[in-house]
Amino acid sequence: MSDGITRRDALGRVVRGTVLLGLGSTAGFLINKAEGQVVWQVDTSRCVNSRLGEAGAEVCMLCTTQCVVAQSAVRAINSFRDCGRCYVCPAYYNIRSAVDERGLPSEKLCPRDAIRRTPIGFVDPEDPANNFYEYVIEEEKCDGCGLCVKACREPLGLGSIVLKVRHNLCVDCNRCAISIACPHDALFQHKVADALEPTLARQPQP
Amino acid sequence: MGSMHYRRLPNVRRDGPDSRFATALRGLAVDRRDRIYAVGDAEVKIFDRDGRLQRRWPTSRPGCSVAVDEYDRVYVGETGQLEIFDATGRLADVWRHASRLGRVTAIDFAGGDVLVGDANDRAIRRYDEHGSFMNDIGKNNRMQGFLIPNGVIEFAVDRAGVIQAANPGKHRIERYTLDDRLLGHIGRFDGVDPAGFPGCCNPTNLAVDVRGRIYVTEKADPRVKVYNDDGTLVAVVASEGFDPNCKNMDIAVDSRGRVYVTDPVRLDILAFETEGAAS
Ligand code: SF4
Ligand code: SF4
Ligand code: SF4
Repeated sequence: MSDGITRRDALGRVVRGTVLLGLGSTAGFLINKAEGQVVWQVDTSRCVNSRLGEAGAEVCMLCTTQCVVAQSAVRAINSFRDCGRCYVCPAYYNIRSAVDERGLPSEKLCPRDAIRRTPIGFVDPEDPANNFYEYVIEEEKCDGCGLCVKACREPLGLGSIVLKVRHNLCVDCNRCAISIACPHDALFQHKVADALEPTLARQPQP
Repeated sequence: MGSMHYRRLPNVRRDGPDSRFATALRGLAVDRRDRIYAVGDAEVKIFDRDGRLQRRWPTSRPGCSVAVDEYDRVYVGETGQLEIFDATGRLADVWRHASRLGRVTAIDFAGGDVLVGDANDRAIRRYDEHGSFMNDIGKNNRMQGFLIPNGVIEFAVDRAGVIQAANPGKHRIERYTLDDRLLGHIGRFDGVDPAGFPGCCNPTNLAVDVRGRIYVTEKADPRVKVYNDDGTLVAVVASEGFDPNCKNMDIAVDSRGRVYVTDPVRLDILAFETEGAAS
């Protein structure tokens, strides 16, 4: 091997690449970025749409309106590990809309109809309240408006939906336009290699 | 909705460091003499019917729930165990079972039996008075049991010996017999009509009074309501006064009809009574 790269290093990179692909599309696209490169990300503990203790705050849509990419490089993602798989998901339904003949809210919340709801596991056809539901964000439709993120936040939901910069869409501006606009200083940069860390969040600020 | 109206009373006292909870306030109960029992941190606190601190003692683990039986024994539900104290706070017994008593978020009594809610396994356990396990309730059915994204099992036994159990993911209160027969349910989802249960999962907590009325708390937005046994809404007790981030606000009702509710964010116990009730 030349340039001081050993067989072991190369093997390690292949393994890492496989792991990254397994982590989903964003991680997969990170492989195409140089390991030492920095990328922008949303600190969900700072974003006003997802951080705890913000009951009643207006939804912030700056991630949608400020990103230089059409339809924004920021999208909502749902962490299935943390999702309650609720019958009435406040991120899927407009829970203030009139109840329909099924006993469910008559309107959806997402203005782009970007969330898919599917019963999973054992399905009781007679009483749908008995079922668990999977909520999948169809990212190609989502523009990161944050409505579902705010609705899913504790204590109304479980906070499983958050906004994330999708690295396959982001064009890596030197100074992220959202970071300039964000009133909560929630955009930060991290090294591509750090994307492998399971808990990626900026260190607490003084 | 009925014409009953409630007014807010002063909070159960927290003047002085001993009467305050420092980090957590989870469980609430009243005994037959209307004394108020609260657990949180790793302590039991007992207040008299006027809210003055009477007694306090430590628990070995932080309490999640509390109940008092007819002999004034105090049962504290914790993670992995149930501690039983006599009226003076002396530890009388500990029931340990890592899987059956994973996280005990509710306790009540039926005849001589002790019923405990295990939130980890989404089940109500029935024990005899000596701590011998008898059967599960609400777990082994085709309805997927209790759906509790809010993280607590909550129930109360009414005057007829029926278990009234919150099933918040289904927006219902389900009725079970001691031998695990589902008798039916009341409640429905509605995000606008106060007679319904809003949000993803409500009601979170409940209590019953001697007349069979069911008192519930809801999260996001915090609200306290009373229903008749047939599911008709009697009154909205309160929809303000709580921290908006509250959830799993425990509730208890005394013999005078006073309603006590925890605010687990501000670590307060709020009190309400009907307009015109003699204080
Ligand atoms: S601009 Fe900041 S606060 Fe607003 S949605 Fe984006 S990250 Fe959240
Ligand atoms: S962020 Fe907005 S567009 Fe995207 S799924 Fe949520 S509500 Fe829909
Ligand atoms: S760096 Fe540029 S493309 Fe990426 S999220 Fe920020 S504004 Fe959008």
